[in-house]
Amino acid sequence: MVATATPLIHMQGITKVFTTDEMETHALQAIDFDIAAGEYVAIAGPSGCGKTTLLSILGLLDAPSGGQYTLAGQPVAALSAVERARVRNRQIGFIFQAFNLIGDLTVAENVELPLTYRSDLTPADRKDRVARALGRVGMSHRARHYPPQLSGGQQQRVAVARAVAGDPAILLADEPTGNLDSKNGEAVMELLQELNAGGATICMVTHDERYARHAGRQVHLFDGRVADAAASVTAMA
Amino acid sequence: MLRNLRLAARMLSKTPFVTCIAVLSLALGIGANSAIFSLFDQMLLQPLPVPSPEELVNLGAPGPKMGSTQCSQAGSCEVVFSYPMYRDLERTQTVLTGLAAHRAFQPSLAIDGEPLTGQGVMVSGSYFPTLQLQSAAGRLFTVADDAPVGANFVAVLGYDFWRDRFGSSPSVIGKTIRINGKAFSVIGVAPKEFSGTTLGVRPTVYVPISMRAVIEPGFTNFENRRAYWVYVFGRRKPDVSLAQATAALNALYRPIINDVEVPLQSGISNQTLARFKARLVTVNDGRQGQSSTPENAKTPLLLLMGVTGVVLLIACANIANLLLARGAGRAAEMGVRLALGATRGQLLALLLTESVLLALIGGVASLGVAHLTLKFIGTLMPSNEVGALVFELQGSVVLFTAALAVVTGLVFGLFPALHSTRSDLISVIRAGAGQLTGGKAATRFRATLVTVQIALSMALLVSAGLFLKSLMNVSRVDLGLRVDDVVTFGLSPVRAGMDSTRAAVYFTRVQEVLAAMPGVTGVTSSRVPLLAGQSWGTAVHVQGFTSGPDIDADSRLNQVGPGYFQMMGVPLIAGRDIAESDLHGGARVAVVNETFARKFGLGRDAVGKFMSDGENDSLTVQIVGLTPDVKYNSVKDTIPPVFYFAARQDWSIGELNFYVRSSLPVAQVMASVRGAMKALDPTIPVEDLKSMPQQIRENVFLDHMISILSAAFAVLATVLAAIGLYGMLAFSVTQRTREIGVRMALGADAARVRAMVMKQVGLMTLVGGVIGVAGAFGIGQAARALLFGLEGHDALVFSASVLLLSAVALAAGFLPARRAALINPMQALRHD
Ligand SMILES: Nc1ncnc2c1ncn2[C@@H]1O[C@H](COP(=O)(O)OP(=O)(O)O)[C@@H](O)[C@H]1O
Ligand SMILES: [Mg+2]
Repeated sequence: MVATATPLIHMQGITKVFTTDEMETHALQAIDFDIAAGEYVAIAGPSGCGKTTLLSILGLLDAPSGGQYTLAGQPVAALSAVERARVRNRQIGFIFQAFNLIGDLTVAENVELPLTYRSDLTPADRKDRVARALGRVGMSHRARHYPPQLSGGQQQRVAVARAVAGDPAILLADEPTGNLDSKNGEAVMELLQELNAGGATICMVTHDERYARHAGRQVHLFDGRVADAAASVTAMA
Repeated sequence: MLRNLRLAARMLSKTPFVTCIAVLSLALGIGANSAIFSLFDQMLLQPLPVPSPEELVNLGAPGPKMGSTQCSQAGSCEVVFSYPMYRDLERTQTVLTGLAAHRAFQPSLAIDGEPLTGQGVMVSGSYFPTLQLQSAAGRLFTVADDAPVGANFVAVLGYDFWRDRFGSSPSVIGKTIRINGKAFSVIGVAPKEFSGTTLGVRPTVYVPISMRAVIEPGFTNFENRRAYWVYVFGRRKPDVSLAQATAALNALYRPIINDVEVPLQSGISNQTLARFKARLVTVNDGRQGQSSTPENAKTPLLLLMGVTGVVLLIACANIANLLLARGAGRAAEMGVRLALGATRGQLLALLLTESVLLALIGGVASLGVAHLTLKFIGTLMPSNEVGALVFELQGSVVLFTAALAVVTGLVFGLFPALHSTRSDLISVIRAGAGQLTGGKAATRFRATLVTVQIALSMALLVSAGLFLKSLMNVSRVDLGLRVDDVVTFGLSPVRAGMDSTRAAVYFTRVQEVLAAMPGVTGVTSSRVPLLAGQSWGTAVHVQGFTSGPDIDADSRLNQVGPGYFQMMGVPLIAGRDIAESDLHGGARVAVVNETFARKFGLGRDAVGKFMSDGENDSLTVQIVGLTPDVKYNSVKDTIPPVFYFAARQDWSIGELNFYVRSSLPVAQVMASVRGAMKALDPTIPVEDLKSMPQQIRENVFLDHMISILSAAFAVLATVLAAIGLYGMLAFSVTQRTREIGVRMALGADAARVRAMVMKQVGLMTLVGGVIGVAGAFGIGQAARALLFGLEGHDALVFSASVLLLSAVALAAGFLPARRAALINPMQALRHD
């Protein structure tokens, strides 16, 4: 292997075990997985195979039971809760299946929300970024609306704007089209592709092969294991 | 209806913990109200248990009263009449069917040789006929029993006394009992529910008012128009209005005043004479009888009613909050019911049944709370005040409670019910479409409720703080006395039939016997009991002080035993104490206090000057001592001018209070006092035996009672508000789990999430606190008359209350805030 720049995301031997009352669920088993800066990766697989679990570990929402995870050269396990929150805020942008916009805040306020958690931005900076982010998803004209007044597709565009407003290192999307009809789903897919073309690193989870094909690389999960990452890359090549 | 009830019961039993909290809150809120209402009802609402009480009218005779005035619990000195005036008015009746007179007295009873104390009322022959009462046994007085003066040795017994002492036996009729040493024949028993016409007096015996000179030897004022001592009420003819009665009575009264009484007034200024000539009879609603208790109790009772009302409001807010929370959980259920074709009215009925059922259960439980609260209040009141009231649940209270429960149930159930049945079908179907919004109106309503709760408990905390500080001031009052280890009691030998000359000898023996008891280091006596609320006053002449019409020459007085001041721990400023050698027939001596010396221009040179014995102007008494001002009849009142005569120089004293200082435990001293007095003369009962500290506490019992009750209610209110705040936040955190998860996924750390919840706490506390403080200013102003030694806006009390409430609010917010911070950001990814 030629020495390239360290991958943005490096996972080695990641496992996740959920222990409930009398049951252990091995949701992830020895995952080895890299994402380079600028890549668009789709994680695909049937329901229950561990996609969301993997994404939540990627996004620092959850900690793995074992293995090593390095984000931009930094071992994540060593981070404190406050540092993890800071990483989520600065380096990661989330797009959820259920949009998860806050109904009591306007579209602009929703997009601004992660920016308000930062101390390095003036109100003017924040306004500026919100305007740009809304512009990128084509929702500027709805800035003063409340989420319930928007259609699902529009809501997901706002959610994308919220995810990109802070210029994160990577966008994580969990079934972003799951709550949308196919037309709106396509539109969101195109939006992600545009963002990737503009340089954004994206990791998207989906159980739908059609959408997975939009990505530059597909990783197939099956029962908590990576099935044949190489195969699909080869298939595309 | 029945189906709704069954469903509601099932709903409530499904969440037993929440239901218990709700029932408990309601029970406390409703119970506190019922207890205070019970007192309110008895003191201010209940009419006398007589036929057509609304026809009764109380007469008053305000205006200047030269001569002597004796007033009592039955009303202020403004309303008493002279005996001849009462008889004049009684004789000519046009608008009334009867005019009755009465006056309470302290009887010493002896039944089959056994001495008893009790309460007595002297009544006119027209008393029972005017009230239209029928006897429980025998017969009641008629006009014939009341004339001529001093001729009718007949008595009527109070029903309770008859039941308790004679087992309701009819054979009591015709029995002879001794009242103040005189034999009276029992002719009948008053009816069951009736206990006199004065709240606070529960008569054991009734005697004809014309017998006053018999039961109080030395009384001579049946003919005296300048001696005012009779309380008068009448019964209007059914078609006569209050105004007509007033006019008709004054048509009678005015000529007597101007033609008969004006010539009797001498030595008064023209100004006072003019006011005397203008005197009019007042006629007021008399359905509750005649008593000064309601007037005195009104402000504290209204205050406590207000306080408990607020407690109930806070409890209701909690229930409303709880139902709203539950309603949010049932929005889907309501949507489905609506989708299945239920009308909104049907759902409302179901939900309201639930809240009314909850309130009724709370209401039933509240009866227990009310009962205990009443018992507790009973222990806060001195025994003589307790006698006036029934500390048990009565029918009216149970009704009140039931009504309160139903109204409460409807009030706190209505908004939640309206809200949770509003869920339109579309939003049910669209539920889960991905917005993190939880019923904005309901959220705002819940926050408002909690803010109001905070405001209300803030106001209550401040007012409780004011009363507590007031009580602290009261307990810090320097009485000028050292009486911590003193026991006191009264003896009334003359009332028990002894003549007053022999009583003087008896009192000397008592002093000797008490002094010889083991452990006793001092004994003294006084005619007016110290700090027991009683006082005795007269106008005096003092050497070098010019008296005249309209010049205030009044002073309080007391007659005290030898060594009184030394015994009470009062060092004299000049001169000497009342001494063993100051005896009947010797040179008359007095000790005066500083205020007396100042008022009568004696200054520091009081000792050696002469003064009169009462109103006559011969200066026969020499002042031998000057004492610093010490408290006289009341802990809180400013000290009046007082002079002290030697009790042993007066052989007409019929009753005396003794003070015994002892190093032994109080209970032991009391037991030896009883034993020693019984051995000395078993026919004379020991009255009001208590320690001086207790006597002092009873003197300020109202302060104790108000501050303890208002503190208890304020604590209750604050606990309820804290539960409300906690519940509201806990619910909102639960409802916002997903939203908080999203915020954490977007980079909010634990501190920020905690701060978000605490900010909400802070905002509600700030808004509620400010409103509460503003309200507390109002309460402080309104309650100023009840506060001692501080203003209604005491800075310390206000800041302490603010701190306390903030601490409670923060504590209540802490757990939900922590729970919010522990939310797993994974919640953001859950989409089911
Ligand atoms: N908090 C949890 N506790 C127990 N088991 C869990 C938990 N979260 C996920 N799982 C289990 O882990 C497995 C993977 O789940 P998930 O990552 O949500 O799958 P996917 O997103 O691919 O549908 C499933 O079997 C699921 O039941
Ligand atoms: Mg999933």
